[in-house]
Amino acid sequence: MKCSKCGNPNVIIKKEQSGQYLCKDCFIESIEKKAIKTVRKEKMLDKGDKVLVALSGGKDSVTVLEVLDSFRKLNIIDLCAVTIDEGIAGYRQEGVDIAIRHAERLGIEHRIVSFKDEFGITLDEIMNSNPSKGSCTYCGVFRRAILNKAARDMGATKIATGQNLDDEVQGILMNYLEGNIDNLTKLGPKTTSKSEKFTVKIKPLREIPEHEIGLYVVAKELEVHFAGCPYAQQSFRGEVSQLINNLSENHPTIKYSTLRGYDKIREVVKEEFKKEYTVSRCERCGEPSANKLCRACVFLEEFGR
Amino acid sequence: MSFTLINKTKKEELEIPHENYTIKELAEDLELPSQSHVYKKNNQIVIDETVIEDGDAIKIIQILYGG
Repeated sequence: MKCSKCGNPNVIIKKEQSGQYLCKDCFIESIEKKAIKTVRKEKMLDKGDKVLVALSGGKDSVTVLEVLDSFRKLNIIDLCAVTIDEGIAGYRQEGVDIAIRHAERLGIEHRIVSFKDEFGITLDEIMNSNPSKGSCTYCGVFRRAILNKAARDMGATKIATGQNLDDEVQGILMNYLEGNIDNLTKLGPKTTSKSEKFTVKIKPLREIPEHEIGLYVVAKELEVHFAGCPYAQQSFRGEVSQLINNLSENHPTIKYSTLRGYDKIREVVKEEFKKEYTVSRCERCGEPSANKLCRACVFLEEFGR
Repeated sequence: MSFTLINKTKKEELEIPHENYTIKELAEDLELPSQSHVYKKNNQIVIDETVIEDGDAIKIIQILYGG
């Protein structure tokens, strides 16, 4: 077999959904073009934006950094990065070190913020305290709080995260299966809020399958932290992911069609289920919140912090 | 007829079980989930349909970890 685009006999992928074979160079180009097309189609960037990349050092965030750097090189945007250390022993440090090296390589402003410094508790300590919720719930809330605050401190106008096609489809199905229509309306390529204190979030990789991002970093020889979060297996997301991957074996386009279907109804669902609420400030930390306390502070009170 | 399998830090010499033995068959024999790994043959990324030949070095790189 030969590359369907250039005829090179050294192919590195057969795209199940299209039957197309691609060599290394054509595959790398296709991923970068796809992400850039998504950024443009969804109008994720404005000239002069300062984009904060949530850089874990894993394949997705390193790929986002690589894609957005092409916009930086064209002087369209400026870039900075934040790495969050959740406090997971034996897991996080390698990613932090890799993130530092990528930020240095590109010469961009980079901060490392830990749960311990910011909230006085690590994710390990949370999970050892017999908490009422799953690890991803606490981690997600604390991470979002850190990213929002860091974006304001660093003068960022957008936050870019590494959600890929698999993540988006898992989010759609999880929220639907749980009947959580409120959260379902919050998914999408670009999330905004009524409060100016919340920075706009963008997802340049949302149309690229996770395994193609993995192949991209290997093909491009980018240094990344390949490892699984030790808490991931406990999550509902893990179960949903397994379900979708099993279905994909015989239905290779199912992730794309799920995303396309959601994108078609997204605005209607958003409009139909929109909630009228006022964004004020959390009484404890001063961050924007629709309630007396923001979710991060509700959790911190649960842990006596 | 044999090949070298490199998986993380483990390196072992394995017999090629039959003619036209492919990467896909190797993944099935090792019970590795589809699309969660990238395979290199003699340091070049290859696809599932690639045939493993005598003396090849096959490296397995796990790219998906679930969750």
